[in-house]
Amino acid sequence: MKRDSKTIQILGLIILFVLVLLPLVARPYVINLLTEMIIFSLYAVSYNLLLGFGGLLSFGHGMFLGLGAFTAGAMLQRVPVLPFFGAIFLGTLVATVVGLGVGCLLLRQKGSYYALLTLAFNALFYAVAIKWHAVTGGDDGLPVKRPSLNLGLVQLPMSDVTVFYYVTLIVIGCAVLFCWYFTRTAMGKTVLLLRENEERMQFIGYNPAVSRMILFTLTAFFAGLAGSFYALFFKFVGVDAISIDMTTTALLMTFIGGTKNFFGPVLGAGFYIYFQNFLSNLTDRWPLFMGILFVLMVLFVPQGLSGLIQSLVGLFQKKEKGKVVGKNNQPMDGE
Amino acid sequence: MNVAIIFILHGLVYAGLLFLVSSGLTLVFGMMNVLNFAHASFYMLAAYFSYSLLRWTGNFWLCLLLCPFLLFVIGALIERFLLRKVHVFGHLHELLLTFGIAFIISEVVKWVWGTAPLPIQIGGFLDGNVTVFGVIYPTYRFFVLFCSILIGLLMGFLLLKTRMGITVRSAVDDSEMVNALGVNTPRVFMLVFALGAALSGLAGVISGPLLSINTGMATAILVDAFVVIVIGGFGSLIGAVIASLMIGQLQSFGVLLFPKISLALIYLLMAIVLIVKPSGLFGEKK
Repeated sequence: MKRDSKTIQILGLIILFVLVLLPLVARPYVINLLTEMIIFSLYAVSYNLLLGFGGLLSFGHGMFLGLGAFTAGAMLQRVPVLPFFGAIFLGTLVATVVGLGVGCLLLRQKGSYYALLTLAFNALFYAVAIKWHAVTGGDDGLPVKRPSLNLGLVQLPMSDVTVFYYVTLIVIGCAVLFCWYFTRTAMGKTVLLLRENEERMQFIGYNPAVSRMILFTLTAFFAGLAGSFYALFFKFVGVDAISIDMTTTALLMTFIGGTKNFFGPVLGAGFYIYFQNFLSNLTDRWPLFMGILFVLMVLFVPQGLSGLIQSLVGLFQKKEKGKVVGKNNQPMDGE
Repeated sequence: MNVAIIFILHGLVYAGLLFLVSSGLTLVFGMMNVLNFAHASFYMLAAYFSYSLLRWTGNFWLCLLLCPFLLFVIGALIERFLLRKVHVFGHLHELLLTFGIAFIISEVVKWVWGTAPLPIQIGGFLDGNVTVFGVIYPTYRFFVLFCSILIGLLMGFLLLKTRMGITVRSAVDDSEMVNALGVNTPRVFMLVFALGAALSGLAGVISGPLLSINTGMATAILVDAFVVIVIGGFGSLIGAVIASLMIGQLQSFGVLLFPKISLALIYLLMAIVLIVKPSGLFGEKK
């Protein structure tokens, strides 16, 4: 166990190091790709808090990303003096408030009802986004301008790819770390236990409905944050940002990465964006291959990429330990 | 007055389609506890099949027979070779699998038939108009209504009066017990899944000339069908009938009376039903 966490720490530091230093050598194209990966990492991680940790299958995550994106975009259009973080704050705020409202309506639901109701809410918001032409631009979408970041002494030009990358890395990175911290807190553990045995939690005195609502609101907050960055990154918000397809994206990323591991969705988001870029250069039919990959993974690798890597590492370690200690000893990493 | 009659008829026709799609969905959910996201994709697939078949042969009645049969086979294959494989991983994986299948079907449809809406023309006596209650109404819409009522009655008969129907109904209630009593439940599951796919396919074929055939048709009816089974209660056929009728009228009159918020009305109805009776109108609390 101890060795495991040390390996993760070292691995995390190496990845952070690479992420910080890479823009010095990489082309703008690669930096843009990385920025997109980071934004979607948060989106997928927040989705996995529901799916992997809460055991709640939601089909309404896209609406929070869309709400964040549309709010940030529309506010920037209406209020030209709105600062960079003002737009992000407003986008996140609206997503959180709606998350709280929807969460209150979903209080008693779980399982298939939960999936259905979240889907219905997403469809509702999608319909509103298409109809409300004055704010969202309807089918035409909403162009967004990216304001520069005023830090008091210095003005950071956000149009610069590298600067935007670093700001995204810092803000979204902190948010992902906070999600990770959340899973370690008492509240996070409560959610985990609710998934495992709700009845027993009720007997002990927890209120599962309230815990679920808090979790839902929290994920809405993070999805809204990711959405605000989405709007600023693409400098455009179309109705597909709030569509069921956007929810699908979260599900695909999370499932491909693996739901059992916290950092699985990060891996999944990175893989998805990379694979999408790779495939879309070859064929216009990339969603088809993504779908086939998804079905194959459901059938044969239900634990996802991170689970696959873990079991491969486990296999490797077992072999090594087997040599030294003898094969009767069980490896410890099974815990 | 005439306007009201026309809109009531519109609502009834849409309710018929919705019933054909949601009845299979609700039975499959009741039995296997699987929310089938691919169900509406069967509907879309059949519509596209019928488009190609109609261009090829020019015979609408042939489409009406052949497309549901094709969907029956596809449904049976999906249940037997894909869904049953992931059954051991639990309901979440089954749901995800049907979702993946829906995704693939929609992409395949876009690939083969393109993304532009396709017009469908049927000749013969169905193309005309008839006068009923003093209003002129397309014959084809009556035909859709007639088909769904016929199928509904047939289903009611099969479920209530035959041995097969008794087995299905008891499997909806408690499939483990039925299995323990010596019925081959996996085969019943496969049959119901395939029949549900065929019904959804039939709805797809008859919806072709009514609504346009496009790549978004699956999502559109899927969400409505989900609302129907939430309102009617999971696994309840009579609930599906009543809820379909409600949604049909609400859609139809919503467009007439409140065009701005017509899309939101059905979700509003769903929210009200869920607050008053969370298990749906005819659902049993499990």
